[in-house]
Amino acid sequence: MADRAKIVDGFRFMPPSLRAWISKDIPAEEYSGDIPWTPLKKPLSETTFSLVTSAGINLKTDPPFDIEREKREPAWGDPSMREIPSTTTETDIDVNHLHIDTGYIKEDINVMLPLRRFREFEDEGIIGRLAPTCYSFYGFQLDPKILLAETMPKIVSKMQAEHVEAVLLTPA
Amino acid sequence: MTPEFHREIGMPRVAAIEYPYGRPVGQPNDKEGQRNVLVKALSVLQNAQLPGQVVHLPFTWPEAPQDTQWHPPEISPIVKLFLEEIKKAGAEARK
Repeated sequence: MADRAKIVDGFRFMPPSLRAWISKDIPAEEYSGDIPWTPLKKPLSETTFSLVTSAGINLKTDPPFDIEREKREPAWGDPSMREIPSTTTETDIDVNHLHIDTGYIKEDINVMLPLRRFREFEDEGIIGRLAPTCYSFYGFQLDPKILLAETMPKIVSKMQAEHVEAVLLTPA
Repeated sequence: MTPEFHREIGMPRVAAIEYPYGRPVGQPNDKEGQRNVLVKALSVLQNAQLPGQVVHLPFTWPEAPQDTQWHPPEISPIVKLFLEEIKKAGAEARK
């Protein structure tokens, strides 16, 4: 547990051929472009959080992410998003994602979207507040144009309305 | 999950963790394990002073990769479409 020198191998669980194929598109050198930066302005204990995941989670009362179209058009990924209220539990959700085993999330949503853990952190004063709304989108986006131009602004707008100051993003 | 992508797109803050896809916070119903991961992730937010910081979290997944289930029940459409290319990339990497 206390291995301070650990360097995370992000491909550790991936089959070697898939790793080799995906790695071909990742530059060998460090990123040198501009990176957006907003400093944390307050202690965590005064900060309002929201959570966002790319795991394809939807409320059972909302439409699922469209994996049927992706089966017909393998390079297409659903660019929409779903709001997930912060009080949501496993019994309220469905998960549709063609690139992972979704069973663990259906068993315990916190493995992917840690709503219950953040509500505990709020109760304990570790964070200021978990905003009323968290979000899921669908992570397979070879062409993220619609996701960036149409979907993300909706999320940002709702986050601003709920005074969100920090976000934990959990990739599927 | 895959901090290597930071080299491609540049992310403001990354709490990298070597956990399988679909379970970045930990095992189902392991409240303490999930909390430990999240507290460390929050400390990255608290401590990062500059854009582009990647912090490698010190957690080790308890199962070997070959024993870890994360794959979808069916091979994904994009992998199916490019399967021959993927096999070729694997063969080249093994050379």
